[in-house]
Amino acid sequence: MRNSNILLVDSCKADFENVKKAFNEIDVKFTLHVAQNDTEAWLMLQGDNKISPIPKIVLIDINEESVNGINLLNKIRIHPDLKSILVFVITRTDNERNKAAALNLNIAGYMHKPDDSKKMTDFFSILNDYWNIIEFSSEKK
Amino acid sequence: MTQRLVNILLVEDDEVDVMNVKRAFSKNNIKNPLYVAGNGVEALEMLDDKIIPLPKIIILDINMPKMNGIEFLKVLRENERLKNISVFVMTTSNEDSDKIKAYNLNVAGYILKPLSFEKFVVSVSTLNNFWQLCEM
Repeated sequence: MRNSNILLVDSCKADFENVKKAFNEIDVKFTLHVAQNDTEAWLMLQGDNKISPIPKIVLIDINEESVNGINLLNKIRIHPDLKSILVFVITRTDNERNKAAALNLNIAGYMHKPDDSKKMTDFFSILNDYWNIIEFSSEKK
Repeated sequence: MTQRLVNILLVEDDEVDVMNVKRAFSKNNIKNPLYVAGNGVEALEMLDDKIIPLPKIIILDINMPKMNGIEFLKVLRENERLKNISVFVMTTSNEDSDKIKAYNLNVAGYILKPLSFEKFVVSVSTLNNFWQLCEM
């Protein structure tokens, strides 16, 4: 796979440490980048801290208030260079309004965030298997 | 995650491929109700006329007569009632242009049909494991 970046947008330090650990344990082929809120994420997608090549996968916890995930998702979907990104929502909090809004913005999946490190590894193992069977375009930006 | 079985619509013109999907579902013990449309026009009729219950998942072929997968996706995404359905492309088309168009229309995944049935069963199993993680 030519494009090998994933951006995780999550304000909870313990969670993103667990995600990093899971990525290491299951040998995910993508490089993981972390942003703690929508502003930081946007700078990594389009601003001064732009990741190259643009990530083909973004993982967002849309229900953490400081993340402002729906706003970020909206911006991704209307930007010509970003609208094709596969966005997975991974969250621990139930919020039906955010869930409906995210599904209407055609996220690839809305999932519950696992509670502990072991479950996180199992969770990303399934997700990683899925990422490995899907094709991405070879288009590079 | 245990949840009720969501309806799945398969849009596929090739009868052998339809049979393979049904067999792969059976091999993986996937019990979701599966509806089949032979092309995009037929799928839209089934969805618009509410002939079938609203599916949460569509498995979509690209190369089909009358209306191909990309044309179908465009119409789907402009329809308020249908636009949030998760679409998984399953095709033999390895064309980059098809992948770009499909992802620009926000499919949840673009999967190449493996050549052997055994590999196809594994891909469907992986897909099903992913569906089990998702809230639809």
